[in-house]
Amino acid sequence: MEVLDFLLEPVQSGIGRRALLEVALIGAFSGALGFWVVTERLAYSAESLAHGLLPGLVLATIAGAPLLLGAVGGALAAAALLALGLRDERIGPDAGTAVAVTGLVGLGALLAFLPDSPKRLEELLFGDPLGVTDGDLIAAALLLAAGGVALLVLHRPLSAAAFDSAGAAALGVRPALLRLALLALLALAVAVAVQGLGALLVLAVLVAPPVAVRRHAGTPGRAMLAGAALAVVAGAVGIEISFHAGSAAGASVALALCALAALGAALPTRVRRVARPGAPSRSPRRAPAAPG
Amino acid sequence: MPSPLDLADLPFLRDALLELVLLGIAGGILGAWIVLRRLAFFSHAVGSATFPGLVAADASGVSPTLAGVAVALGYAGGVERAGRAGREPSEATALLLVACLAGGVILASDVFESGAAVDRLLFGTLLGLEGIDLALSAAAAALAALATLTLGRAWAALTFDPDSAGTLGLPARVADFLLLALVAVAAVAAIPAVGVLLVTAIYVLPAAAARLVARSVPALICWALALALADGIIGLYLAYWLDVPPGPPVALLGATTYVVIALVSPR
Amino acid sequence: MSALRVDALSAGYGGAPVLREVNFEAEPGQSVCVLGPNGGGKTTLFRVLLGELAPESGTVTGPGRPAYVAQTERTRLDFPVSALDVALMGTLARGRWWLPASGADRTAAATALERVGLADRAGTRFGELSGGQRQRALLARALVQDARLLLLDEPLSGVDPASAALIAGVFEELRAEGRTLLVSSHDVESARTFDRVLCLHGRQVAFGPPAEVLDRRTLEATYGSEMIVLEEGGPKRAVTIQHHEHGEH
Repeated sequence: MEVLDFLLEPVQSGIGRRALLEVALIGAFSGALGFWVVTERLAYSAESLAHGLLPGLVLATIAGAPLLLGAVGGALAAAALLALGLRDERIGPDAGTAVAVTGLVGLGALLAFLPDSPKRLEELLFGDPLGVTDGDLIAAALLLAAGGVALLVLHRPLSAAAFDSAGAAALGVRPALLRLALLALLALAVAVAVQGLGALLVLAVLVAPPVAVRRHAGTPGRAMLAGAALAVVAGAVGIEISFHAGSAAGASVALALCALAALGAALPTRVRRVARPGAPSRSPRRAPAAPG
Repeated sequence: MPSPLDLADLPFLRDALLELVLLGIAGGILGAWIVLRRLAFFSHAVGSATFPGLVAADASGVSPTLAGVAVALGYAGGVERAGRAGREPSEATALLLVACLAGGVILASDVFESGAAVDRLLFGTLLGLEGIDLALSAAAAALAALATLTLGRAWAALTFDPDSAGTLGLPARVADFLLLALVAVAAVAAIPAVGVLLVTAIYVLPAAAARLVARSVPALICWALALALADGIIGLYLAYWLDVPPGPPVALLGATTYVVIALVSPR
Repeated sequence: MSALRVDALSAGYGGAPVLREVNFEAEPGQSVCVLGPNGGGKTTLFRVLLGELAPESGTVTGPGRPAYVAQTERTRLDFPVSALDVALMGTLARGRWWLPASGADRTAAATALERVGLADRAGTRFGELSGGQRQRALLARALVQDARLLLLDEPLSGVDPASAALIAGVFEELRAEGRTLLVSSHDVESARTFDRVLCLHGRQVAFGPPAEVLDRRTLEATYGSEMIVLEEGGPKRAVTIQHHEHGEH
């Protein structure tokens, strides 16, 4: 079975197995969380957070500390600075975000280029799934477990608030707290995933899966499961390509994810398009879709 | 600490100094419009979009500058066609930029084996600035000044009253596209010095800080010019002193200037 | 024993109060029509009653958490939920939100959909329903919540006549069950069918039975120049200029 042997090559080595496991764990959680990231229009915030935590990562490499620690610290600092950058209305949110993100990326790069710093900038920017340690895998597994439980528990309030924020508030849901919880999950996902995909590419694992499924999935739950599954598949494809073609692993996974998003967005959909507000409704010619 | 006069004495630093002065002029003038017309994201995106093209051109002997300008203008055209939606960061744009960065790095490290070029393209370089880079920066600065003199009123009208601008008989879409095209070309001009990722260090950060204190459009342009030149020259000196690419110090200076002014200026 | 009692209420968003001197009482089973121009304070009053906005002075005494039926423009039409899912959201008010919906929850939602005439559309995506059907789905959500007080924001505006009749029928049922309804509206004529009318224009202009409240002077004080009175031989009809600018305040 030559094809099977070919495909299973990465699994033969410890490095390959760990890389596959890492992208699978990260992909499973991020692919699901991504549904809320896109629904709540948090993609740009996620991107800014990911770029902005660079100084944290670099400081971790200089201090010899675990990257995850640097990532979490960097994410918290970036979140605070981003919030400050958005405060002044005169310059607009896009310029405010640019000030915070460009400043942080500049700081991170500056620290990384200093003569005594470890030369790991490219790995921090573009990821290194092949350098994953057992500690990283444990962190990713914990993230998937705890984050997955959080998503399950918050599922109904998140749906109610996404659908109708004011109405949900009347039902007892607290949209502000929910948003905070979502941002915390986002920061955690970014901090863990950044080791595999790098600060510049990590956005793909959060945004590409929901973009791929959003025109096809009938309910939020199905969108999240499909997103998780597709992210895992894309991760595996990326690692395979990296192994056989010798291309950079993190970048290969990112490209596989983007290709997936393009494919999903281009495929014709079986789910009927939503009526625009104000447009007359059309009576369906077939029975409506089964309840999700 | 090396002497600041080295910037004028040493030949390779003279080139870099000239480049950053020209970029400071372009950055100050265009930066004012970028902040007013909410084009900060666009100016960053157009830089990132050129990355794979630059890698390929760099490795195959085609002029990266020309390749970059071509890609950037194409991207600007696409954004103009997309209307409102094209300016704001969307999921599709974000993924496109990730794909460009990932594609570029694979081309550089695995296809062309020019991995060393990645740092230079991402963050800029003190050395190796060529005549064509200076020429493009000079063109960007000149065009920025010229366009402000001729199109400035139209751009101001579009900013403060987009609906009536049409009734004034201004060719709004043309003026708008010209601004996008100019920003695109200027962004490419900045890449050799500050890199693909930090284009906004020249074009947004000084102007954003200027916006906090300026009370009119001409004042905004003057303040932005002053800050962009200062950030660029001091940043160059820091890059020389610390032996790092120029992009990061210029970016850090720009952000710090913004923070200081924000703390000091009245609301 | 009143269902809802508002005393000397004044509320705002930081500057001068946008709503002042509100005093009224509603009994269980009563329907109150809230009239007033946009920006006159109807939305502010609802926000106070929902607990979203703290009043600057005065008190509100009410029967626990009210149900809220908003305009469908405030909902996301592209969010993938069915009519049944929307009705099910009402069960969040009953607690245990961290668990999936129970069988009893689903039954309650299905029953509510039947009451509003959407049983055959239970599986249809919310965004694919007509305007009237969407309004009925949101009403079903409020029914599931089983609240004693319901706040409805222009529930009949832009709704087809069949849906409007169905919705009016449900209102009658709710009143018979002893629940209290507060309905904000732009339609002065329809206010005559309510038990009480509350006129707001930055302050309470009037409160009472429609026959007492809906006279020319009160309506002019409420709507100012936005009102036209038609006197073409028959009974006088008041018509207000409707501005569809939702989302103010």
